[in-house]
Amino acid sequence: MTASSPASEPVLSAQPEPRFRISRIRRQGWLVSGVAVLLSLIGMALCWSNPRIGAPLRPGLDFTGGTQVQIERSCEPAACADLTAAAVQQRLATITLPVPDGAEAPRLSSAAVQVLDGGRSLELRLPDLEPEQTQALIDQLSPLIGAVNPQQLSVNTIGPTLGSQLLRGSVVSLLVSFALIAAYISFRYDGIYAGLALLCLAHDVLITCGVFAWLGLLRGVEVDSLFAVALITVAGYSVNDTVVVFDRIREQRRQCRDLSLMDQVDSAVDATITRSLYTSLTTLLPLIALLLFGGSSLFWFAVALTVGIGVGSWSSIGIAPTLLPLLARR
Amino acid sequence: MARQQGWFALILALAIAAGAVLASFPLQLGLDLKGGSQLTLQVLPAGAIKQVKSEQLEAVKDVLDRRINGLGVAESTLQTVGDDQLVLQLPGEQDPSRAAKVLGTTALLEFRAQKPGTEQEMSGLLKLKRQAQAVLAQSRQSGAQAEPEIKTEELAKALDQLGIQVPPGSSETEQIELLLDEVNRRIVALYEPAQLTGKDLTSAGRQQQQTGSGWDVTLAFNSDGGRKFAELTQSIAGSGRLLGIVLDGRSISEASVGPEFKPAGITGGAASITGNFTAEEARDLEVQLRGGSLPLPVKVIEQRTIGATLGAENVQRSLAAGLFGLALVAVFMVVLYRLPGLVAVLALALYALFNLALYALIPVTLTLPGIAGFILSIGIAVDANVLIFERVKEELRRGNTLIRSIDAGFSLAFSSILDGHVTGLISCAALFALGTGLVKGFAVTLGIGLLLSLFTALSCTRTLLRLLMGYPALRRPTYFLPSAQLPGSAA
Repeated sequence: MTASSPASEPVLSAQPEPRFRISRIRRQGWLVSGVAVLLSLIGMALCWSNPRIGAPLRPGLDFTGGTQVQIERSCEPAACADLTAAAVQQRLATITLPVPDGAEAPRLSSAAVQVLDGGRSLELRLPDLEPEQTQALIDQLSPLIGAVNPQQLSVNTIGPTLGSQLLRGSVVSLLVSFALIAAYISFRYDGIYAGLALLCLAHDVLITCGVFAWLGLLRGVEVDSLFAVALITVAGYSVNDTVVVFDRIREQRRQCRDLSLMDQVDSAVDATITRSLYTSLTTLLPLIALLLFGGSSLFWFAVALTVGIGVGSWSSIGIAPTLLPLLARR
Repeated sequence: MARQQGWFALILALAIAAGAVLASFPLQLGLDLKGGSQLTLQVLPAGAIKQVKSEQLEAVKDVLDRRINGLGVAESTLQTVGDDQLVLQLPGEQDPSRAAKVLGTTALLEFRAQKPGTEQEMSGLLKLKRQAQAVLAQSRQSGAQAEPEIKTEELAKALDQLGIQVPPGSSETEQIELLLDEVNRRIVALYEPAQLTGKDLTSAGRQQQQTGSGWDVTLAFNSDGGRKFAELTQSIAGSGRLLGIVLDGRSISEASVGPEFKPAGITGGAASITGNFTAEEARDLEVQLRGGSLPLPVKVIEQRTIGATLGAENVQRSLAAGLFGLALVAVFMVVLYRLPGLVAVLALALYALFNLALYALIPVTLTLPGIAGFILSIGIAVDANVLIFERVKEELRRGNTLIRSIDAGFSLAFSSILDGHVTGLISCAALFALGTGLVKGFAVTLGIGLLLSLFTALSCTRTLLRLLMGYPALRRPTYFLPSAQLPGSAA
């Protein structure tokens, strides 16, 4: 596996003077990223110390376990609006569910109720329920909320063991893919490039997490297994982006040996910046389409990817290349 | 040129094949897209088994497979996950509670003889049981609204006697069900250990009672079981002691054996359980007994139900998003890259076609995260084209000829395209190997997308572009770059 050798191509003219020198704004770039990482860490620390969250990000049903019921009601718009979350809560307190032997009765008083779309749909967050308990619950709610169309009912139950299993699986696959990517870059480039690629990747993942920590604090946004998928995608994308710039730096170092490393980096970034911006834009276009038209189930997934890919293209332009001259003094 | 034409013929053949595949194999949609239920069952260690291993998981799966077939749900699938979990998918099923109940019970059937000297206690319990059953049957007939007619203080006394804690606010029907459950448990305590179990059954059936409206479940034993059954009935014939039929630790039927069976017991290897079952209960029990008992207990740890219209809505929205995203990218490419942009759009259309054909062929079950992975892989496929065309532009600006610039563009962009795709594939492999259901679906579509994008960017785009360059009319640098950027034109 050898890179196609650009040295065999005739290089007609000398390198044009870079139109854009990234090294001129490198300190500002580091400052912006540093502040963003710091804010992210603060957000996660605040989440962690918040007794109602107790984790760096607000964990959703997928990680905590429990039952989530989403009900679409069939009612006239005017009548729909009468339903309040408090009324549902009150009704829940009076419901008794069938309990299998040896088990404790689930405490419905701890349920979270959200009334959406002007009363037309209802989202319940409940403790872990057995399937027949869920059915009994919906049956017993019907005097209050009216008939429920089973075609528009969505029920999710995640046991507590499955949640932690999912979390472990996600973290392990993230770490393993980090390690493998680092090994691949060390093999194709060298250790310093691999270290920088990982640094960028950590930067991108941290800031994406930070945004969701703040969203969790301020807007109550929860992270689910799709968020884990988004993070891993951001990691892969970040490396892809960084590698393209590194590939160009390596090429420059072969072709223009007389330039300083800083100048080589500048002209490599200058040569690839159009590509980096266009690529981010073309990747963001489908994501924006998802944001606008994708179902509500994919909305926060698309947000996470948009943030991560935006940050990823910044770090591949403004962080990884400018740090290289600091580390590689050759 | 000949080489280009060969490639072109290959691409054309592949495109036709992909079209044919899509026409004959339907795309498989996941439950989140078409609606249905998914249950995850955890196999629990019990008795001597401390850790569930894959062979025990397979044994449990065999039993559950037989039960599911008995239930007659169309297109259901049961898969093992890891060492101790099973995932059951029931497309179109909106109420999985019955399936969960039928699958989740161990269904250990036992035939046990009553201990000597417990006749008095037994008759007391049986009297309570008959009363409770009669009241329940009555309330079932007169509809759920009517509360059963039982004297409140009588019920309270019986509950108190058995030491049952009644959950506050429960209705009388629920209290009677609790009572019945406890009675059935106490009856079991009066039996000897089991001599005959469901293992010795060869088949189970059901039939309507000749008197009354209930159903019976009929059993047939193998020769060994028939012999044991004869011995068991002989031992208690005429003694006044009862033969208990116990399912998962609850007495479901108590039968007396007449003195005429004293000489040889009940022979013939057949029996029936008279438990006053409803038609559905009898059918479920039949299914469970036929499937055999579970070697280890299971617990439902996850349940996801998506309504069919919710699923359809998700499909339409994601499809709309995908098409709109593609249209935007196409406009972007043509505006930025002119002729090669147009070629890239064509190559991307082929790319989407090949992707879908592979999904149908493998087959990949498309879920929401899977569609997300597909949309993202389109972005990365476009990136490969952007990398190449930026290089081509650069070479043109340096004053190279068109053909040489195109060749240089492809060969210079190759190493970074390769590195980008390989790192992406590494992530996909890690996700696929270590991730759970949703994550896997995403990894599969993204991985397929990355592999295909390597092919389309490097062969489809290149072949089409070289083929077009065979026409002198198209061989104009201004079809690639605004003339102002070409060296020696304006300046």
